[in-house]
Amino acid sequence: MFDFDDQEPELIIPEGWELRAPEGWEWESLWIAVEEGDYVYTDQRVRESIEANIDPRVILDDGLFPGFNLQADRFSATIIFIPEMLITARAMKAGLALIRPLLAANAEKPVGTFVIGTVLGDMHDIGQSIVTIMLENAGFNVINLGTDVHPRKFIEAAERENADLIGFSALLSTTVYYQKVTIEEFQKAGYRDKVKILVGGAPTTQEWADECQADGWGKDAVDAVRLALQLVEEGRESWV
Amino acid sequence: MASGKIAVTFGGTAKQAAERTVHVTRNRTILEAGHQAGITIEATCGRRGRCRSCRIKILKGDAPPPTVQDAVQLGHDEVLEGFRLACQTRMLGDTTVLPMPPKEEEGHQILNSDNSLYDHQLHLDCGVAKHVLHADPPVEEHHQTSDVEEILSVVPDLKENTMPLHIMRKVPQLLRQQKGQITVTTFNGCVTDVEAGDTKDQIYGMAFDIGTTSVVCTLLDLTTGEQLANAGGMNSQAVYGGDLMSRIAYAQFDDKKLSTLRAKILNQVNKYIRQCAEKANIDASHIYKIVVVGNTCMHHIFLGIDVSYVGLAPYAPVVRDSLVLPAVDLPLRAAPNAKVCTLPIIAGFVGADTVGCILASRIHESEEVRVLVDIGTNGEVVMGSRHRLTVCSAPAGPALEGAQIRDGMRGAIGAIEKVSVNSDFECAVIGDVPAIGICGSGLIDAAAKMIDHKVMDCNGNLRKLEMERLPDNIRKRFTRTERGTAEFILVWSDGAGKSRHIGVTQSDVRQLQLAKSAIFSGIRMLQAVMQLEDEDIFQLQLCGGFGNYVNIESAKTIRLIPNLPHEKISYVGNAALLGAQMALLSENERILADQITHQIEHIALAARPDFQDIFVNSMNFSGSRFPLRTRKHSRRPRRRRLSRQ
Repeated sequence: MFDFDDQEPELIIPEGWELRAPEGWEWESLWIAVEEGDYVYTDQRVRESIEANIDPRVILDDGLFPGFNLQADRFSATIIFIPEMLITARAMKAGLALIRPLLAANAEKPVGTFVIGTVLGDMHDIGQSIVTIMLENAGFNVINLGTDVHPRKFIEAAERENADLIGFSALLSTTVYYQKVTIEEFQKAGYRDKVKILVGGAPTTQEWADECQADGWGKDAVDAVRLALQLVEEGRESWV
Repeated sequence: MASGKIAVTFGGTAKQAAERTVHVTRNRTILEAGHQAGITIEATCGRRGRCRSCRIKILKGDAPPPTVQDAVQLGHDEVLEGFRLACQTRMLGDTTVLPMPPKEEEGHQILNSDNSLYDHQLHLDCGVAKHVLHADPPVEEHHQTSDVEEILSVVPDLKENTMPLHIMRKVPQLLRQQKGQITVTTFNGCVTDVEAGDTKDQIYGMAFDIGTTSVVCTLLDLTTGEQLANAGGMNSQAVYGGDLMSRIAYAQFDDKKLSTLRAKILNQVNKYIRQCAEKANIDASHIYKIVVVGNTCMHHIFLGIDVSYVGLAPYAPVVRDSLVLPAVDLPLRAAPNAKVCTLPIIAGFVGADTVGCILASRIHESEEVRVLVDIGTNGEVVMGSRHRLTVCSAPAGPALEGAQIRDGMRGAIGAIEKVSVNSDFECAVIGDVPAIGICGSGLIDAAAKMIDHKVMDCNGNLRKLEMERLPDNIRKRFTRTERGTAEFILVWSDGAGKSRHIGVTQSDVRQLQLAKSAIFSGIRMLQAVMQLEDEDIFQLQLCGGFGNYVNIESAKTIRLIPNLPHEKISYVGNAALLGAQMALLSENERILADQITHQIEHIALAARPDFQDIFVNSMNFSGSRFPLRTRKHSRRPRRRRLSRQ
């Protein structure tokens, strides 16, 4: 018989986590709550952690991320699927809603500003909403423009927000064309070198990303975040 | 090689007696060569190397080095055995290839409609009338008249005082045969044909259902309603993409490619007209009315209308009204005297085929609430009664047609169509031959049995823990794919290395989940709009070629359809074609179709804020869930306040 347990992703426990919480503090219940998508408990436990004066960064890294990362890895390996990922994302969101204002108050700068949306002609948003949550988790300031977004709106948002990265999602083979069009519009507006552009969605491939001269292609949400963290470090023309 | 061309031979199996060889220039793909040889190799993904539908085996000659797509789609072992993707492989030298699986048109389970299904009294009034008349050629030079005027003057109830040009051309001859006895055919008061002699009893018509996947048609005697012949097969456009969107993407913003698709379908329709006329032993010029149904995209391409914007939000069709067009204008030269009538369209993704289904099901006359589910690449759900009708389109994708499933294939010979479990998994294969793949109904059956026997949980996760609780013979069916994901074997390989095993992989299950949740959420959305509970549904009817082969209990287990009592669920066969036949036999029905189209409410799923939740909630199967990992610790105290000690 085949042993399946060896494929199970290891729970990623942040280094030195036990030193960063008050003595006897217990995180595992929160990991499991995020993993199972129990947003009521997540909310409660994060509040307790804040009351216990634990550094919000530590709550995020040691309390919320382990369970989320475990699910993200499973999602990436097709072990779990969209519904379970969304359930986990919902719990994560509940926790983040409490943590984010504290991080901002501590003057923690976001990793970068990411404008995301589904291209013109396309009404699908499940894929990009997963990516949005994962980017937020990774510390990005994410501006989600929704679906059926005109290239002009992408450009306006990029200008307004001084975006570092832009992501175009397309879920139909008839609408991927607009990823290319939108990139060309950025070129025309003279903003192409100010931002890094990522494309993604079911019909897209690396070849397509190369063809439309995007800076990167995310195979899935996890891949997109990895790529975003990498691209945000690369040099760009400044907005000001 | 002096000519610079290379020979590509298709065939190789005993069954395919006639091998076909074509000469192509170097660097053409095998798919293109197959095309040239007239062999249909499906390219479900639209030649992008993203599915396995076009895989072939190289029997003789040098196999070109595998491309990245070959390696990804086929895996190392198959590549070594000489399998390649026909759309990616460019020919370097003379080659013999075997299309996989061998295609046999006759083996396809494409449903034709069944005559016995007319359960309501259809009043025959096809709009075509034949008048046997006597007309004399003009006799005196000073009579200011003409042959055509002489004929038209004797035809009763004319609305238009003219006739088609190609008829005028033959008038002088026929007016002077048979001593002036002529038969004039009219359609709704317009002359469509003039013949010498009496041909009063020869009035025929055809109904066509042009689907994305298949095309079926019937030839009817319009005076009796009797079905004389039928024909059908795969839509010949399938080589340009299996699903609707990739078909649109192919022709988008490119007139030449649109013409290519149009020529394909016109040729096919012409071919079927000739075939049916031959089978029924009639003269195709006596076909006077052709009713065509099809989804918006197929309808537009058939008429040569640009589909570029049908594929982009807000997915508006170019024309919605029903149309009556002379066949020669399309051109359908096989039936030169026919009027081609298309049924109206409801929306970009709810086409004339759905209107046909509604006509056939009589849902618009029903006192109780009924649900009509057309399971296909693009599923449609109609819900309501004579008081209110709603419709939506559910983008199921081609998974239920076997595409994007590793061992998936259409319902042809060699496909697993049923799965049953006594002490072990047993598969029924179409044609009773060794299995070479699994079709949509087989996949649904397999998934349902896997849930029943705790191989898979309600989230669609293949079992990983507590394997010892499964019986040995089921447990040993678990394996891993080359890419390391879980797989459940349905049929073992024969051991001789001739065939490989057929299984359901974790990603196949994911594709099935996406497909079925589209349809299920379509049903749920219409229920939400109409505020109906499951108990309020009087009947659920499954239609479409595919719907008829689905096991109802399995469909309920995987939550493709709601869990209604068995007696409330029925099959209606190819309702779209049936509706087309009704419009063919009765002008009343054809006009009714227009009324229905104006009354029905179209619900655009993607535009509704609650759709995402409904879609995600529809993704699960019935049954329980498995834990994802063993817990070293006892369960977390739920919702209990944990305090620092």
